[in-house]
Amino acid sequence: MAINLNTAVVESREQRLGTIIAWDGAAVDLSKESAYARGNCEAGCGGRRLCELSGPFTQGSVCSEQMVECQAGNVREAVLIQHSPIGCGAGQVIYNSIYRNGLAMRKLPVENLHLISTNLQEQDMIFGGVEKLEQSIRDAWERHRPKAIFIATSCATGIIGDDVESVAKKVEQEIGIPVVPLHSEGFKSKHWSTGFDATQHGIMRQIVRKKPKKKQEDLVNVIALWGTDVFTPMLKELGLRVNYVVDLATVGELEQLSEAAATVGFCYTLASYLAAGLEQEFGVPEVKAPQPYGFAGTDAWIRELARITHREEQAEAYIAKEHARIAPRLAELREKLKGIKGYVATGSAYAHGLIGVLRELGVEVNGSLVFHHDPIYDSHDPRQDSLAHLIDHYGDVSSFTVSNRQQYQFYGLLQRVNPDFIIIRHNGLAPLASRLGIPAAPLGDEHHALGYQGILNLGETILEILAHKKFHQDLAAHVKLPYKKEWLDLKDPFALVKPENTLDTERA
Amino acid sequence: MANTKIKTNKANPFPIVQKTNSIQQIRYVCSIAAMHSASAIPGVIPITHCGPGCADKQFMNVAFYNGFQGGGYGGGAVVPSTNATEKEVVFGGAERLRQLIDASLKVLDADLFVVLTGCISDLVGDDVGSVVSEFQQQGVPIVFAETGGFKGNNFIGHEMVTRAIIDQFVGDYSGPKEKGVVNVWSLLPYHNTFWRGDLREIKRILEGAGLKVNILFGHDSQGVSEWRNIPTAQFNLVLSPWLGLQTAQHLEEKYGQPYLHIPVIPIGAKETSAFLRKVVEFSGIDKAHAESFIAQEETSYYHYLEDFSDFYAEYWWGLPAQFAVVGDSAYNLALTKFLVNQLGIIPGKQIITENPPEEYREAIREQYRNIADDVSTDVEFEEDSYLIHQSIRQTKFGHKAPIIFGTTWERDLAKELKGAIVEVGFPASYEVVISRGYVGYRGALTLLEKIYTTTVGASA
Repeated sequence: MAINLNTAVVESREQRLGTIIAWDGAAVDLSKESAYARGNCEAGCGGRRLCELSGPFTQGSVCSEQMVECQAGNVREAVLIQHSPIGCGAGQVIYNSIYRNGLAMRKLPVENLHLISTNLQEQDMIFGGVEKLEQSIRDAWERHRPKAIFIATSCATGIIGDDVESVAKKVEQEIGIPVVPLHSEGFKSKHWSTGFDATQHGIMRQIVRKKPKKKQEDLVNVIALWGTDVFTPMLKELGLRVNYVVDLATVGELEQLSEAAATVGFCYTLASYLAAGLEQEFGVPEVKAPQPYGFAGTDAWIRELARITHREEQAEAYIAKEHARIAPRLAELREKLKGIKGYVATGSAYAHGLIGVLRELGVEVNGSLVFHHDPIYDSHDPRQDSLAHLIDHYGDVSSFTVSNRQQYQFYGLLQRVNPDFIIIRHNGLAPLASRLGIPAAPLGDEHHALGYQGILNLGETILEILAHKKFHQDLAAHVKLPYKKEWLDLKDPFALVKPENTLDTERA
Repeated sequence: MANTKIKTNKANPFPIVQKTNSIQQIRYVCSIAAMHSASAIPGVIPITHCGPGCADKQFMNVAFYNGFQGGGYGGGAVVPSTNATEKEVVFGGAERLRQLIDASLKVLDADLFVVLTGCISDLVGDDVGSVVSEFQQQGVPIVFAETGGFKGNNFIGHEMVTRAIIDQFVGDYSGPKEKGVVNVWSLLPYHNTFWRGDLREIKRILEGAGLKVNILFGHDSQGVSEWRNIPTAQFNLVLSPWLGLQTAQHLEEKYGQPYLHIPVIPIGAKETSAFLRKVVEFSGIDKAHAESFIAQEETSYYHYLEDFSDFYAEYWWGLPAQFAVVGDSAYNLALTKFLVNQLGIIPGKQIITENPPEEYREAIREQYRNIADDVSTDVEFEEDSYLIHQSIRQTKFGHKAPIIFGTTWERDLAKELKGAIVEVGFPASYEVVISRGYVGYRGALTLLEKIYTTTVGASA
């Protein structure tokens, strides 16, 4: 399905891509069932949809609005208005801290983010909140003279049906900067990655320069978050410049997305929508290759980028140079990591990349948890099939689970494979691993494991993290988990989904 | 990169604006964040009936990027949640909640579950009360509070949860009271970054003075058994400018329990000893025992203060002379009192940020007017950080930069004013807090260490 920028509301991931949030099996089977391989579901789910498990017990997830905050709310020179009761504004705290640390890592001036809550009250639920929204847009303009104003909608404003579009249009005409509604009601999508798409949808509709006067043939859009600047030195080898979006970008850097020679990302979960949209709407080619993790992925990724930007010779020289450069240390790391077992529990496409890197390092990976699974990305191009790439180059992952940050299932998943460490990015799972004596490597810097250097980086981090085992094992001996013994004893993380389980008889 | 700051008005980069509905850089959250008041009680687990992001948002911001306090046994981003979808919005979520509660009983080990609702449930009108009562009738320890985000902030939500537990779990009582037993209602758990250490110290000093203390929240609480003992206590102590008053008034009505309201949380020997004497007087317990504890604590406190005095008297490189405090009323008042009376620092600007109900504000103002025998100051009430920062910028702090007791939001402001910042309240994203507290006898010394390590540490 092509990307449709004519509607104000983004189509959710489940509508566009058939995204699921619960599945359990072997990676090869998930890959086979996904759309890239074939167009139907054996179990009779109909169409191209994957079978999805659904049970009665769920723990707090994440919502689309949070992903709007963490993208649109971290654009420099812009203001994000949260049209919501004050509670949604809680996210200002975490994304401020991440914004500040991200700015520092990129050597940009550190500042607080610019988020304003419309602070809706009980009477606004009855009479509507659009007047307050208009006031907050004007406040944003008066206070900061921003170059763009984003608006995030919330569950509450979605239910009461506030006409955000009309207010935005009215004030936009008056103040002469883009006022961009981002439809991000938490209840509208089962997976929060729709919030990435909502932000990118609004940026493509209202910020990106529609008819670029010039093309910048050496500019590459890099769809990233706050990670350290590893792309500049890498792309410099090919004579290319980096345009980081969406986080930490200026509004001007978002405008020039349409002028670039190519678009890449560190993770297809994040980059899928924007990269495909830029190609479809503005003719900026998306690099269709495996993600840049491990040797095979990075080689193929660089070659494809070089092909699109006509820099094949530099690419081969760089590839050869890097292979040689990292070889000695990689050999040492492989030696040190022999017999070590790892577990990856991160976002979907990112996990596919990280498992590859771990296997390059000789770490055994028999299990992984991803928060969701997209059977296909927006490009529909099989060269982007990150799960198939993992399986083809590094083999199957026998315990591959889609579980939307459901910590209660994570216990059983860890018992299956007994890892020495886990890799995480999102919160919620490492605290359990810690209480079981298993250390976690939190990849706050999402670029840490990327490219050739990333292989070494991840190896060094694992060595550091293994040393933490002392802390976690000491803790594990002294804490009690909040889960019932009966549940933990079941070991099957999906027992509650199945019609019959022993827990059902417990309370008559 | 020079133009990354979004301001174009060169003459006045921070235009004066009127107060509106807008809140920039939030200082409190919504009532469902009172899930923390549930998980702050040992053995209690909240169940949230709300959108998919609510529990995560409240935890990650109130309890993680605020001192990195952690979720403990029953809290965290992964508390049970219905993660409401379009289906629950269109058809209602009561059935989904019933299903989640039922499953939670199978999976989780809790002494009490507290169901909290979010905007979705409160807007579509789920009959949560009848779902929860089905379980209550089966003897399941479970209560509910309707805490939709538009109903008020997390201070209001805290009293909703407290009341829900009292009314739906503790229940009626008309038996005798036990003399010398006190229920303490004080700091808002987790929102106040230092609540764990502070409650521990409050319990310690009250016990030292001879009382038996139901501290109710934190690691030193006995959990639900302590809550069951609430009705048998002799009295309730509300130790905060206003939070807890509603609870105490409710308990007075419900159990005929009197309450003592002390608005100033004591920091330092002078204030703490005075506080203990008031409580002892109210309860009528043995004064001699209390006095001997006070004497012992003061001896120890002043030994340390004497050690500190060398630094305070003859440190060469200057110390802050004026201060500003930006934060919720409990800490704001407590700190102002201590800084003025113990250290003799001059109050420059005090701004209370948690939007206390109007009826309590005059009494709070009165406290500031009488902050010392010879010092009177005033206080502002403001929630919008943009206006707060404007107000501080316009304050004349004398010839020297002030020290700001505030939050992460004031980090840049402190740099701009070339002053120091001590993060003492939500959000404190650049503090790691485990058991540290700033109140009582011991907390005061920790606070002194923090203040002057900050100023001395930045000197060269």
